[in-house]
Amino acid sequence: MEGKIIVVTSGKGGVGKTTATSCIGAALALEGNRVAIVDMDIGLRNLDVVMGLENRIVFNIVDVVQGRCKVEQAAIRDRRIENLFLIPASQSDNKDVLTTAGVERVAKQLRSQFDFIIMDSPAGIERGFENSVVSADDALVICTPDVSAVRDADRVIGLLYARSLTPKLIVNRIEPARVVRGEMLSHEDVLEVLSIDLVGLVPMDEKVLISSNTGTPLVLQKDSKAGTAFRQIARRLNGESDLPVEMPVYKTSMWHKISKTFGLKQ
Amino acid sequence: MIHFENAAPVKLKGVGNGFWVTLDPSLPEDLLITEIDKLFKKLRHLAVNANVVIDMGDARGHETLFSFIKTRLIEKYEVGRVTTPPEKQSAPTQRIRQRDLFRGWNHHRSDVLMLRGRIRSGQKIDTRKHVVVFGDVNPGAEILAGGDVIILGKLSGKVHAGNPKSETAIVFALVFDPTSIKIGQITAAGSEKISHTMPEFACVKNGSILVQDYMKTNPFKKMPWPEAV
Repeated sequence: MEGKIIVVTSGKGGVGKTTATSCIGAALALEGNRVAIVDMDIGLRNLDVVMGLENRIVFNIVDVVQGRCKVEQAAIRDRRIENLFLIPASQSDNKDVLTTAGVERVAKQLRSQFDFIIMDSPAGIERGFENSVVSADDALVICTPDVSAVRDADRVIGLLYARSLTPKLIVNRIEPARVVRGEMLSHEDVLEVLSIDLVGLVPMDEKVLISSNTGTPLVLQKDSKAGTAFRQIARRLNGESDLPVEMPVYKTSMWHKISKTFGLKQ
Repeated sequence: MIHFENAAPVKLKGVGNGFWVTLDPSLPEDLLITEIDKLFKKLRHLAVNANVVIDMGDARGHETLFSFIKTRLIEKYEVGRVTTPPEKQSAPTQRIRQRDLFRGWNHHRSDVLMLRGRIRSGQKIDTRKHVVVFGDVNPGAEILAGGDVIILGKLSGKVHAGNPKSETAIVFALVFDPTSIKIGQITAAGSEKISHTMPEFACVKNGSILVQDYMKTNPFKKMPWPEAV
């Protein structure tokens, strides 16, 4: 059976595309799939650092597309998670070095070798975005509950629909406490504007930063809220589409609840 | 050069089952008779039993001339019947001033662009027509319309109605929360107040844009009859 290419995109930068890509890829591999994670952010290579594989890079995606090496040579095997591979981006080139035709040719080879190919799209809607979505079968849009991120995600959703892709939404970095206080958009607000299928809600988790900097997979940490959310997302993508989406809840203290009952606090 | 006014004093034209003779009664009688004779001689047997209409323009005051020509035509050329032109219809019946409320718009082609779905950020609807959207207009989306803009959903984007100069245009939305509004050449920024959930509309009043509750101040409430736009 042919593999499936999933592009992870957002429009806006810094919303957690790279983290989401690495977490979903790792979680899909933990589910027993053969997974390739492809960094399409040519010139601004990050995914290798997040996955802790930067010192093992020999070839990159530009080498594969331009025929300087084979897919097998560029794909770095993860030592901790079986069946997880990374095809890194080039740090020295720019986005114009790849052509959509070249990407499509490589995508065909990747489909024959992997069950899932997760492509990390660069921020923006220019050439890098075009190259990332050209051969995608599915699209995941990452959005944080910020007005600017929602607007950019909305733009990207329009562009994905225009390419006959039906995007699915992941709302990242939800802070339930701030939502309750009215300082942040809730995931319902985001969904109201974007109105696409929701595939997961990821709460804010400081372990993400630590895991990204140390290059350790977040999904292997059992006590990470974000890691758990990404594992659930991976299960939904792996066919368990009826798995309910868990809402991040704000757990109030006992004293707060008591005060609220007696009308002392709102 | 041809002078149509100096054409023959008597003209003859074949109509239906007879002839139509046009003559000018102000000309001398002899001349008229000679001319009539000339024409009817040419007709010969065709004139027999034919119906002849003598058209003298305003025939009043020329009854003797008419009866003379009539007798002459019947006796000399054996025509069937000689009459004056049928009386034109009397003064037109007074038109009753009335609007047809049931068919008034049957022949009216409304210039409306009707859209379904969500207008997303970065998408721009640019038209000379009126725009109706069954759906929401997201922040970052833009609508440019020659006429009115009606959003049956939430309006959060940017709207320019009455583009370029029509200040009679309105902008209506079920949930009215635009980034900015322009009607004709007047612009207003979106308000930062908590958006209401009642339907509102914007129109130009005294040179500035006014947003009002549609159910309370519907501008078309007092129109005597529906009008196609």
